[in-house]
Amino acid sequence: MGLLTDPSVGHGALTSIFVRHHNRFCILMYIASVILFCMLAHDSFSSQTYFSENALLPGLVKGQLNDNSGPSFKDHYKELKAEAQHYETETPHPYLISKFKHLRLETYSHNFTLNYPLKKNTVYTGRNVYGILRAPRSASIESIVLSVPYRSPSSIFPSTLPGLAVMFQIAQFFRQQMYWAKDIIFLVTEHEQLGMQAWLEAYHGTCCGSPGVLNSGKLSGRAGAIQAAINLEIHSEKIDHIDIKLSGLNGQLPNLDLVNLAHRLCNKESVRHTFNNVDGGAIGRNKVNTYYTNLSTMMSMVMTQATGVPDGNHGLFHRFGIEAITLEGYEKKGRGIYVSVLQVGRVIEGMFRSLNNLLERFHQSFFFYLLPSTDRYVSIGLYMPCLVLLVSALFLKAFSAWIQNSSHQKLSDSSSTQSTISEHMHVGVVSGIVLGSHVIGLILLPNFAPAYFTNFWNHIPTHRALLLGYTCVSVAIVCLLPILLKKCLNSMKVSNWVLLHVICLLELGIGLLCVAMHNFSLGYLTALVYVLPAVCTKSSQNRIIVKFLWILVHPICSLFWITAYITYITFPELSIIDYLTKVVESSGQWMALSTVDNMVYGNWAFSIGVLLLLPVWTAFWCLMFLPTNLPQKSKME
Amino acid sequence: MEKLLFFVYSIGILIRIYLSFSDFSTLIADRVEVSTPLNSWKRVIEGVSLYNEKINPYDGDLFHETPLTLVFFSYLTSTISDFYVSLVFIICDVFTAIVLYYTSKIYTANLLKEQSKTKSVYNKEFNKLLIPNNFLIINPVYVFSVYMLNPYTVFSCIARTTTVFNNLFLALCLYAMVKRLRFLGCLSLVLASLPTFYTFGLIAPLMISCASTDSKKKTGSFIITLLTCVAISCSLLYLCYIIMNEWTFLDSVYGFILNVRDLKPNIGLFWYFFTEMFEHFRALFVCAFQLNASVLYVIPLSIRLRHDPLLLATSLLALTAVFKSYPSIGDVGFYLSLLPIHRHLFYFMQQAFIVSCFFVGCTIFAPTVWHLWIYSRSANANFYFGVTLAFATTQIFLITDLLFAYIKREFALKHGMKRMINGREARLMLD
Repeated sequence: MGLLTDPSVGHGALTSIFVRHHNRFCILMYIASVILFCMLAHDSFSSQTYFSENALLPGLVKGQLNDNSGPSFKDHYKELKAEAQHYETETPHPYLISKFKHLRLETYSHNFTLNYPLKKNTVYTGRNVYGILRAPRSASIESIVLSVPYRSPSSIFPSTLPGLAVMFQIAQFFRQQMYWAKDIIFLVTEHEQLGMQAWLEAYHGTCCGSPGVLNSGKLSGRAGAIQAAINLEIHSEKIDHIDIKLSGLNGQLPNLDLVNLAHRLCNKESVRHTFNNVDGGAIGRNKVNTYYTNLSTMMSMVMTQATGVPDGNHGLFHRFGIEAITLEGYEKKGRGIYVSVLQVGRVIEGMFRSLNNLLERFHQSFFFYLLPSTDRYVSIGLYMPCLVLLVSALFLKAFSAWIQNSSHQKLSDSSSTQSTISEHMHVGVVSGIVLGSHVIGLILLPNFAPAYFTNFWNHIPTHRALLLGYTCVSVAIVCLLPILLKKCLNSMKVSNWVLLHVICLLELGIGLLCVAMHNFSLGYLTALVYVLPAVCTKSSQNRIIVKFLWILVHPICSLFWITAYITYITFPELSIIDYLTKVVESSGQWMALSTVDNMVYGNWAFSIGVLLLLPVWTAFWCLMFLPTNLPQKSKME
Repeated sequence: MEKLLFFVYSIGILIRIYLSFSDFSTLIADRVEVSTPLNSWKRVIEGVSLYNEKINPYDGDLFHETPLTLVFFSYLTSTISDFYVSLVFIICDVFTAIVLYYTSKIYTANLLKEQSKTKSVYNKEFNKLLIPNNFLIINPVYVFSVYMLNPYTVFSCIARTTTVFNNLFLALCLYAMVKRLRFLGCLSLVLASLPTFYTFGLIAPLMISCASTDSKKKTGSFIITLLTCVAISCSLLYLCYIIMNEWTFLDSVYGFILNVRDLKPNIGLFWYFFTEMFEHFRALFVCAFQLNASVLYVIPLSIRLRHDPLLLATSLLALTAVFKSYPSIGDVGFYLSLLPIHRHLFYFMQQAFIVSCFFVGCTIFAPTVWHLWIYSRSANANFYFGVTLAFATTQIFLITDLLFAYIKREFALKHGMKRMINGREARLMLD
């Protein structure tokens, strides 16, 4: 316990080494973190996936789903297509209800309304249809969900009608089996994620977003507690591959066992299966290629997760403690071997039979992981150190700033005639800055500011109004703060900037760790962007380049850079002017979407930006323009 | 200084009033870090309504306050409305802060008096180690502001935990210590310890501070203090018996504390350990843990810190706040606000920065991990326990640092700051 019992007054040799070379250490940690992160995709860091939950017994039984008894898939699909043609933009509710009833399911429908939060008196309504297959072998205690989002022919997304027909086929088959120990809910939702969210809220009797926005209505029939859910999006009769999607709301992931189950059963039914549209396995690739594929797959997972927006309807289940994934079947283009719908049906049958075996809810395996490939995973113990390295760079910087300041104080104490043990800090200004920046953040929360902005500029579209509002506020902060600070404060004590600096660094560090606990990808990417300027900032006399760097990473600028990049990737052919207007336009749309997501689903991305990044940014900005009054240049020796 | 004091005073009250009457109060009251089975307001209300319905509240495993508390709250809730009950809690908290303010003032004055007596002994070189006179004005303000503005005490107050009353009695006890008022000290100590048990350890500093300086009369004075405490406790327990007409409350209060029957997670270390442990080792480990929490540190610390009873009281309070079976952040907040009293030791503390980082980190991390565990169902108990373990370690670092600072200061006053051996600076080793 030398750490505790060291009786000397000053600091040890190790501390002074750290303090003297803290900048080098910080840079080193930053580089090490990036390298470690890239190494994660390598086979030596990731491990082979395995089943933790033995009760799943994947693939022990032979899939029995077939076209022989009753109407075949083709019949269902033809009927469905014909029906869908009649309703150009709507969902054929009467048909769905009668179909479910015909399949002898307990059928209900569920109405919901959305009061669009950014515009007054704009109301959307929707209706979900669901049927419950009661388990013959138990009371309705537990249930499993199979859901399909209904898309009308006019929808911009690819059709999900084949998936719906598969669901009918499966329901028809499942109805005949007597081994079910859990209820099975067949759910057809409307309006993509909105319908799913409304159904889940109604099922659990809660409200996740802002009150009064999504009126989720009431359910007239319920099954037991939902153990797992599978969302089907099959776009064609001839399927090229099944893509398994995981990312949920706020970056929450389903239990790895469920993901493994899907991959394993796809393998068994010889269905080509991918993760982020990349095949797994290293067959036919050399080592370097494998590594690059793994890295790019992992990066695309990180990017998807970081947005915090679910990449399918499954993502909304996670919040309720329900493990869920989406199986998306992509259309086979051109000739060649394709996967038949029946094979996919058998995969789903196998998954449901495995889930039927579950004795307890999923709890074994991992909930925190990164997937570099379909059959490999990186666990939290390996990827967290990347972030911890970045955050400890911040802590080291804070620590050395503090130590330098206090030792400087001690030196000046001993030289001055007045003998005070330590100089007490005037914390008023510092706490004012910290509090003020957070109050600005609170005001800009999606619940307050957007409604005001859209009211103020009500003749222009919502997304432009939002972008304009937030940009105006930011520009005002950026320009006015330095002038204000120069005017109001003549001089500040050294200890006061150091205090502010340390508070900013610590807040950023702890905030990033908390974000990363929920959503590693978001935390890590934010850390990559913000740690660099934070480490470069000194307590005083910053160079112009640091200020410029801070401007570049302002939350709104960051949003702009991201949209610019994505726009460039998607539309490389646009001319400069078109490109810029497109970027500005889509930045605004992102912002509007994000606020609406926050209010309807409870997505945190916007709140994090406004409550963590913006206040920290503002405080750092203040720090750089605090009037300097250095008596002499002090160097820690 | 008066302006500052008034400012802190009004800010502290405003925060408490605002939070008490907003929706946050229920949110905070439901946090496991704030409300434990021993101090939660919900349980008090349940017990009181059972009592009013003439059902013995100690029959179930619900109510663990003493009958005195029961009667007091029964009276309080029947005479005044909910709004005023909140105000009573706020007033008690403010009163605690004021008592601590005066405690700190008297203590610093005593220190300065003592210092002026012994000043001649010290070398000129150590002038900078001496306590400056302005501490007399600044320290009490610090103590007051830390108690008023500390989020731990604020949360504890607005969640209406009974820790608020407990803290008030403890503060009175500390005040009695520095004022050397034996009866007030004993009474408030007993009142504070009856529902929580562990703080009985504070009898040691009370005995030391109430004893006269004459060494012959010391033992007699110790015994008188001890007897007074015992007498008051016995009479209060008997009063409890008269109220309830049976002794079952003893098991519900002390049996519950000592046997750790409720393993609901809290910021302590008991719950995880006793959930994971094999059942037949339970008795052994309960004894070991409880000894550690209650008496283990009292005697050695009393011997070492016999010249500074308040520091002894602070460290004992901190140790019980770490090791007791149902700790809450109200306890932590109380001893944290005592730290500025010992500001003359801060110069020698080395871990202050790391400790404060960890305090902030754990405070923010605990709800995050709790959310992941309970709501998202993705994390598990180990994550939360990790945070509470880090929190406990941080507190122990803080206490050790404080105690070592005291020893180092004593040493430096006697022997000087820098010792040279053969022209090189010598390092002190504690082995």
